Amino acid sequence: MPRCDYACASTDHAVNRRAFLGAAGAVAALGPLGFAAPGAAKQLAKQQKRVLVIFLSGGVSQLETWDPKPNTDTGGPFKAIATSVPGTHICELLPQTAKHMHQMAIVRSLNSVSNDHGIGAKIMLTGRKPEAALEYPHIGAVTAKLLGDTSGSALPGHIQILPKGGSGFGKGDAAFLGPKFGAVTLGEGKPPSDLLRPANLTVGSDAAREAFRRKLNERFAKSRKSASTDAYTESFAQAEEVVKQAEVFDVDKEDPKVADRYGRHDFGRHLLLARRLLESGVSSVKVSHSNYDTHHENFDFHIEQLAEFDQPFAALLDDLSDRGMLDSTLIVVMSEMGRTPKINDRYGRDHWSKAWSVALAGCGIKGGAVVGKTNANGTAVVDREVYSSHLFHTYLAAVGLDATKNFYPNERPVPIGDPEAEKISEILA
Amino acid sequence: MSVALCLIAIVAANEARDPLHARIDQHIAAGFADYAKNAAPIASDAEFLRRVYLDLSGTIPTVSEFQEFMADRSPNKREKVIDRLMNSFGYVRRMVWFFDVTLMERRPDQKVPRAAWESYLQTAIAENRPYDVLVREILSSDGSEPNTRAAAKFFLERDMEPHLVTRDLTRIFLGRNLQCAQCHDHPSVDDYSQAEYYGIQAFVSRSFLFPNARAANAVIAEKADGIVNFVSVFDKAKKQYTITPKMPGGKAFAEPNLEKGKEYKPSPASAAAPASTPPKTKPAPAAAATAPIPVYSRRALLAKAMTEPENTAFARTAVNRIWAMMLGRGLIHSPEWDHEANPPSHPELLELLTSEFVRHNHDIKWLVREIALTQTYQRSSEIPESLANRESIPADRYLVAELKPLSAEHLAYAISQAGGQTDTDRAALGPKGTEAQLDARVAPRIAPFRSTFAAPAGEPEDGFTASLHQTLFLKYGAAVRGMLATRSVQLGRLTDPTAVAEQLFISVLSRYPTADEVKDVTEALGTASDRNATLAELTWALVASAEFRFNH
Repeated sequence: MPRCDYACASTDHAVNRRAFLGAAGAVAALGPLGFAAPGAAKQLAKQQKRVLVIFLSGGVSQLETWDPKPNTDTGGPFKAIATSVPGTHICELLPQTAKHMHQMAIVRSLNSVSNDHGIGAKIMLTGRKPEAALEYPHIGAVTAKLLGDTSGSALPGHIQILPKGGSGFGKGDAAFLGPKFGAVTLGEGKPPSDLLRPANLTVGSDAAREAFRRKLNERFAKSRKSASTDAYTESFAQAEEVVKQAEVFDVDKEDPKVADRYGRHDFGRHLLLARRLLESGVSSVKVSHSNYDTHHENFDFHIEQLAEFDQPFAALLDDLSDRGMLDSTLIVVMSEMGRTPKINDRYGRDHWSKAWSVALAGCGIKGGAVVGKTNANGTAVVDREVYSSHLFHTYLAAVGLDATKNFYPNERPVPIGDPEAEKISEILA
Repeated sequence: MSVALCLIAIVAANEARDPLHARIDQHIAAGFADYAKNAAPIASDAEFLRRVYLDLSGTIPTVSEFQEFMADRSPNKREKVIDRLMNSFGYVRRMVWFFDVTLMERRPDQKVPRAAWESYLQTAIAENRPYDVLVREILSSDGSEPNTRAAAKFFLERDMEPHLVTRDLTRIFLGRNLQCAQCHDHPSVDDYSQAEYYGIQAFVSRSFLFPNARAANAVIAEKADGIVNFVSVFDKAKKQYTITPKMPGGKAFAEPNLEKGKEYKPSPASAAAPASTPPKTKPAPAAAATAPIPVYSRRALLAKAMTEPENTAFARTAVNRIWAMMLGRGLIHSPEWDHEANPPSHPELLELLTSEFVRHNHDIKWLVREIALTQTYQRSSEIPESLANRESIPADRYLVAELKPLSAEHLAYAISQAGGQTDTDRAALGPKGTEAQLDARVAPRIAPFRSTFAAPAGEPEDGFTASLHQTLFLKYGAAVRGMLATRSVQLGRLTDPTAVAEQLFISVLSRYPTADEVKDVTEALGTASDRNATLAELTWALVASAEFRFNH
């Protein structure tokens, strides 16, 4: 699969620049999964809600996806096709997705303000314009904090799957919410760093050393017990639980037929992994698909990229629907920006934030709703302009949360969502 | 109440003749009824030694350092070890960590390389440069001269962004988190006003990075114009205020009237590089040569206004941060929220420390030493049986020593030592190897700990967390496992299980094992099929224990 590699070097460095563990390479050297009994399938709590963000990295073209403008100067070569919602058309590059439009909503009037990859990603993920003096938490960290407490899962509440890099920890994602809600990063869909017991540590030695560690902790706690020592000792108990559930991270445990439905490529595997995580009680998952930064050959690249997106996305909606999870799982398909309606002389489209689209599905979303409108050739919003801040309120409202409430870092109020915006009611069920 | 007043009177009477550390203890004792009866006893030698090594050297004691100290019968042996550590490279190492984390808060090294920055701090700490001098350098350097570029890191890595710089100047040097005073007077802190925020910002608002903030060789330049206006978002009338540079509680600087067209120095190139400076190895020649330099620089006023004694918040914040470094909790807690509704736990003590610090020429080393000599610092962290549990003890009364989580650097270094890796390093360096050379070998091992255990870039280290990621790193991570290999080989040479237990506990936990622990080790070795593997896992268990994770 060719990847476009442009001078702005966008791909993932914007989302993937955080430091990874030096030890990440060790995972590959470790033995097969021979140690852990598969975690007993947990009954999903009925009340539990989840959020999946699919991030089309580099800036997806709205014209080749949710807001086609065929037969105009900006429209490009592709047709618009009918969907399962009468009157709603999307680009022909999304034939499988079109069949699910009755479960989805589209916002076609987004102005995300910045044409910069990094800033755009931050704007979209935090629902705010960046402020030098205060970092805001990403949507995944916010929902992990606000939704995660009821799941009863030992798994981390916030996981992101990136196409490249090692596994690591995106502690900056959570900003003032604290590292507990920062994304555990699964680079290339690999399990968390150091999840697997080293081959030269036997099951027996592992158990023996854990027992000795606990004994030492009990002695220490006799005269020095504190909230911190408790948190530290509990973190080992949590790690042990997660280790027991290691198979959650292994998509090879899926029926090959299921894997075929998602597609035998990285993004297909990553979306399947996302489904496994959501099923196991992880409340916030983000999957990035790379790369849509198509400054030239926009159309060829969108054919390839969207083919990779369309099939597993439809499979995911089917699976969540079949499992009764779609009603409790919000899915957002976003990007850090859209692409220029104007086609440049290299058959490319450039960075564009003024008028583009985001798609949503599942929990709290009014199926078939379309809100906002761009003009005939997509160069301006003509109806219902919204910002990422409106979307942010909408995501939270969709999963039953109120973004007008406050967080209290350092005991001072910080509104969860930008107080100058409100939810987009037209697309909420 | 009358008891307290009486104690304060005694404190006042003693102040004149007693050394500072004794006066600190008097203030702390006066801060709690029946303090002597309720406070934990002085820490045992072993507990004291581990603490003082971590705090003054960044390390845990080696086996021989431990044994030497335990064997020392002299009454002033604690003072001796404090002085030995403070006059060794260990003190430099530890304080570089402290200043780096305090000033830079883990920001990536984009404009000043880590090595240059650490070397700058090392020199400053080794010669015990007064704190006000150090900060004046940091706030004065524009990064254009190779000799002083490292000092400009504070501004350069923050891209000279006016809001970010204002927030961090006030937080880090003045103990005042004015962040939400950017848009309005602080809603819950009466003395944090919007005018205070913009008064600080006026010093830096004309400054910017030249040629731009993305250039790795950028320097700080300044415009001759630019007015700071602000409006409160709460004010319906939208009244606009204009402000000139001003420290909180100080006077606003008057602006000179400059002739139009003469606001800038005529030849920025010659001004940036005076004739006396040899024009060699400048890292940022292009940037510096053309950066504008105003005749009247607002930023040039900042360094003096910040550090002069009239700006009492400056020394007060420094003292409080050093106190927090040593005691695990600031007299003002947390150290960036100094305001009337969050008073110091011991106001007179903080006043005393501040005035003595200024009187001693902003001498950091002297202050650290005085704190290390106090009984307050040397108290045990074991909760006396008379006090039910830690949560019921008022944390701001210093009855029992706090548990301080090891920083990322401390943890990496201590695991290197506990696992025997530094023994291997020392052997490789030979008898002439220096501590600085040893650090160079340990440095690459610290990096993964920084990315795993340190606070996110731009956030202060604040309290203790244990994330899954961190715990898996300790539990199964190859980095930690690799660092423990030497110890089991060393222990494997000992045949007597009691000797093994003793070596193991001293080298990892810096104390003798209890009888129960000797028994545990003996049993584990008795049933071991692979003795070396068992020794490695025993070492791991000690390293992964809460006792190791905290400076207790």
